[in-house]
Amino acid sequence: MDRLDLPQGTLDLLILKALSLEPQHGWAISERLRQVSRAMLDVPQGSLYPALHRLERRGWIKATWGPSENNRHAKFYELTRAGRKQLGDELDAWQKLTTAVSLVLEMR
Amino acid sequence: MVGRPWSELVHRLRAVLRRDAVERELDAELRFHLEREADKYVRAGLPRAAAERRARIALGGVERTKEADREARGVALLDAAIQDLRYAVRTLRLTPGFTLAVIVTLGLGIGATAGIFGVIDRLMFRPPPMMHDPSMVSRVYRAYDFRGTHRTDNSFEYRRYLDLAEWSSSVSQTAAYSPGILAVGVGQDASEMPVGRATASFFSFFDMRPALGRFYSTSEDRAPQGALVAVLSYPYWQSHYGGRRDVLGSRLAIDRGTYTIIGVAPKGFVGTDDGADVVAWIPVTAYGGLRKKTFADNYDWGWLDILVRRKPGVSLAAATADLTTAYRRSWEAERAMDPTLAPVEAAKPAAILAPTQVLRGPDAGAQGRVPFWVAAVAVVTLIVAGANVAGLMLARAFRRRREIALRVALGVGRGRLVGQLFTEGALLAVAGGLVGLGIAWVTASGLLLLYAGGDPVSGAVVDARTVAFCAAITLVVGLATSMAPALFGLHGDLAAALKAGVREGTYQRSRARTALVIVQGALSTALLVAAGLFVRSFANVRGLPLGYDVGHTLVVEVNLRGMTLSTDAQKRLMQRLTDEASALPGVQGATQMVSTPFYSFEGTGISVPGVDSAEHLGPFNLQLVSPGYFRTVGTRILAGRAIDSTDRPGAPLAIVVSAEMARRLWPGQNPLGKCVKVDGPTCSTVVGVSENVVLRQISHQADASYYIPAAQANRAAYGLYVRVRGRSADELALVRRRLQSVMPGVSYVVVIPFSRIVGAAEQSWQIGATMFSALGLLALVLAAIGIYSVIAYNVAQRTHEIGIRIALGARLANVARLVLRDGLRLGGVGLAFGIAIALVAGRWLAPLLFDESAHDPVVIAAVVGVLAGVTCLACAMPAARAARVDPNIALRAD
Repeated sequence: MDRLDLPQGTLDLLILKALSLEPQHGWAISERLRQVSRAMLDVPQGSLYPALHRLERRGWIKATWGPSENNRHAKFYELTRAGRKQLGDELDAWQKLTTAVSLVLEMR
Repeated sequence: MVGRPWSELVHRLRAVLRRDAVERELDAELRFHLEREADKYVRAGLPRAAAERRARIALGGVERTKEADREARGVALLDAAIQDLRYAVRTLRLTPGFTLAVIVTLGLGIGATAGIFGVIDRLMFRPPPMMHDPSMVSRVYRAYDFRGTHRTDNSFEYRRYLDLAEWSSSVSQTAAYSPGILAVGVGQDASEMPVGRATASFFSFFDMRPALGRFYSTSEDRAPQGALVAVLSYPYWQSHYGGRRDVLGSRLAIDRGTYTIIGVAPKGFVGTDDGADVVAWIPVTAYGGLRKKTFADNYDWGWLDILVRRKPGVSLAAATADLTTAYRRSWEAERAMDPTLAPVEAAKPAAILAPTQVLRGPDAGAQGRVPFWVAAVAVVTLIVAGANVAGLMLARAFRRRREIALRVALGVGRGRLVGQLFTEGALLAVAGGLVGLGIAWVTASGLLLLYAGGDPVSGAVVDARTVAFCAAITLVVGLATSMAPALFGLHGDLAAALKAGVREGTYQRSRARTALVIVQGALSTALLVAAGLFVRSFANVRGLPLGYDVGHTLVVEVNLRGMTLSTDAQKRLMQRLTDEASALPGVQGATQMVSTPFYSFEGTGISVPGVDSAEHLGPFNLQLVSPGYFRTVGTRILAGRAIDSTDRPGAPLAIVVSAEMARRLWPGQNPLGKCVKVDGPTCSTVVGVSENVVLRQISHQADASYYIPAAQANRAAYGLYVRVRGRSADELALVRRRLQSVMPGVSYVVVIPFSRIVGAAEQSWQIGATMFSALGLLALVLAAIGIYSVIAYNVAQRTHEIGIRIALGARLANVARLVLRDGLRLGGVGLAFGIAIALVAGRWLAPLLFDESAHDPVVIAAVVGVLAGVTCLACAMPAARAARVDPNIALRAD
C-alpha cells in the first residue's frame, strides 16, 4: 500500500486535532492518526516526539504523567487554552489552503 | 501573546538546568512507546525479540530520536558552548607547559600594566574621594617673575587667601588647606603625624556627613585665633580610640595647642591629598594663631593650598582671569605694606587653575613626567607579552593542523572550530587576568612605596577602577591573542595538511610568528637599553660627591612647640642634647647644625671687606656647627682646619668656607685668613676651606656654604647630626628615646635617617631605574620564551628533515649549528631594530638622565651581549634536542 508523506508543518495540526478530543500519550496519538487515516498516513514516529515537545514548549499542549490503559506510567498530553485557539487558527488556514489548491487544480 | 515566549523560556531553562531530569523523562516516554509498539506486534503474532526490534525500527532509532529532540529543545547552542569549555579545559590540561607559559606571560603583562595604571590613576586622575563635582574644582597656583626668574608655586599666605576669596567673583566656594606633619601627643608618646589644617569651608567641597559629632564652622575658624577644635579621621578614631563614641569632648595635643575633639570624618575621607593617613583636621586659624600672632595680617608666611569651586557656567579661562585680577589687586595691597616688592608690571603676577591632583599641577616637574614614561614602558611590555602569547597560540594551532583538518573532514563547522579556539583563548585570558590582578597588587604596592618614600599609603592599593582596567585589557589581549591562530591557523589547504602530516620534505616557516618574535626582541632590546641608561644614571646620581656621608647619619630636629626659651637656654639645651647623643654606645659622634640639605636652608647677611655687595654672589648657606661637625658629617677639610673646641665664646671669631664660596669671593686668592663679617661688624677669620656640598638639588652646580661655631653665634642651633656605628634605622629609636627624655615640657625631637631626606631628592631617578629595570627584565624573559618557543617548534617540525640529515651523515655539531643559526638570526634582527628604536627614542629620554648620554655605547654593548647570550640559551635546549634526533625513530614516525 502506498503511504503518503506528510506535507511540511501538518504534523503539528494533526497532533493538535488528535488531542482536541481527549488527552493521550504519544503512542496512542500515532496509533490514532494511523487508524483514522486508514493507515494511509505514515506518521514518522521519530519526529512525533520532537514535535510533541515543541508544542509543549510553545504552551499549546501540556503534559502530565499518569497511569495508562494497561496501567503503566505514561506521559499524557492535553490541549491548553492557547492550543485550542491555535488549532482553530490552523484549521482555518488549512481549509483555506486546500480550497485554494483545489480551485487551482480544477481549473480548465 | 505573552505566554509563548515565557513558556518557551521556562522550558529551555529547564532543559539546561535540569538536564538530567529532562533526559530521564524523555527516556521513560520513549521506553513506554517502544513497549506499546512491541506489544502491538506481539499481538499480531511476532515473537517478543523480533517485535521489539521492529518497534525500534519504526521509531527510527532511540538515540537518533533523542538527538533530534535535544536539537529541538534548543540546548544545542548552550550545549556547544559548555562542550567547548570542557574541551578547552581538557586540551589545556594536556599541555600544562604551554598553558602555564601563556597564563604567566599574560599575567605578568596584564598585571604590570594594570598595577602601573592603578598608581598613575591614583596619583593623577582619580578625583579626591567624596568630592562634589570635581570637574568644577581647581587647585590654585600663582606665577610671577622674581629677580629675572619665573616662579610658580602654590603656597599662599592666609591674608592672600582672604584677598582672593573677597576680590574674586567667579567662584562659589573657596577653601585653604595645608597638609603637614605635626606633633601629636606629648612626651615619649609625641610623634609626628599627618595633620590637615583646613578652613571650615573645606568640608563643604565634599558630599559627606561626619561619622560622629560635627565639623567645625566658620565662626570657629576666624583670625586672629580660631577655636582649638579637631575633627578626627576615621582610621585614627578606630586605631587610637577603638571607635568609641565618647571620644567627643576629649582632648588631643597637636603641635602647640590642645584641641578638643568635636567630630569624626566619614570613612574614606582623605581630603584632597591621597597620601599617608591623616590623623585629624584642625582650623587654619587655630593653628596659624598659635604659630604667629600676625599670620592673618601680613604676606610673609606662605603655607596654604587654595581650592576654588567655579560658579556654574563659569569657564576655566574666565575663572583664571578673574583670580588673576584678584591676585594683582592683592599684590598691590602687599606692595603698599612692603615697598621693596616689585610693581605688578614687572612681576606680572598671575593665577593658574589646575586640577586638584598635585602631580598635574604646573610645577609637577620630573615627578609628573616619570609616571607617563613608566606607563609607556608598561604598554610596551604588554605588547611583548601579547606577541609572545599570540606566538605560542599560533605554534599550537600549527601543531594541531592535522587534528583540525581531521575534524573539519569529519564535518565540524568552521564557525564551531573558531568558537573552540576562542574559548581556549578566553579561558587562558581569564586565568591570565586573574594572575595579573595579583601581580597588579604587587606592582602597585611596590610603586606606591617608592613614591611615598616608605610611608604607608591610605586606602586600597588595587581599587575598582584598576580591576575594571585589568578586565578591559584582559579582554583586548585575550581577543587579540586568540584571534591569531583563528586568522592564521585555519588558512591553507586543509586536505593537503591532512595528507602530508609532518612528513613534508621542507618545513614551513610561519611568517607571522617570525614577525612576532622580531617585534618582541626589538621592544625588549629598546627597553633594556632604557633600563641600562636609567641604572647608569641612577648610579651617577648615587655616585655624585655630595660632600657629606648619608648612610650612617641621623638628622635630629628639635621642636620647642611654641615654648619660649632664651637663646642661652636654647644653646644649653642643644649642648645637653649633643652630650646625651654622644654618650650613647652606638653613636660615633654628634654635632649641632642649623640647616639640612634638600630640607632647610639658613642664611644671614654677610659682608666681606674688599668685595662689593657679596650678597649678589650668593646665596650663601649658613651652618652652625659644634666641634667635630666635619668628622661627624663626613665633609672634608681641604685647607686650614675645622671648627674645634678652641673656637669658644671670647676667642677670635672663626669661620670655615666651602671651596665654592672661596672661589666666588676671592677668586684666585688664598682664602685662609680672610675676613667675613657675619651679622655684625666683627670679622670672622677664615680658618679652613671645606669641600663643596650639594644642598638644593642633585647637580654638579656647587652650592656655597659657610660654617661658624655654634658657641660663638648669637643664636642657637636647630638640630643635630648624629653619626651611628650600625645601620641608622636600627639606632633611630634608641637615639630618639634618649634625646626625648631631656626635652622640657611639651617640646620634642624628631629623628629621621639622613638617607631618607637625600633619597627623596634622588627619587625620580630611582623610580626610573627600578621600573625600567623591572620591566626590561620582564620583557627580556618574555622575549627569551618567545625565541625559545619558535625555535623549539621549528625543531619539532623539522625532526623528519633532521633525521634525514643525520642519516645522510650530518654530524651533531652541524645539526646544532643549524638550529642555533636560526635562533641567532631571529635574535639579531630583533636586536638591530631594538637598538635603532633606542637610538631614536634617546632624544626624549635624555632630559631624564643624569650625567648619562642617551647613546651610551657601554649600555648598548651590554644589551647586545645580554641579548645574544639569552638567545643562545633559548636555543640551547632545542639544539640539544635536535642533536639527539634518532633517524630511526624520526623517519618511521607518522
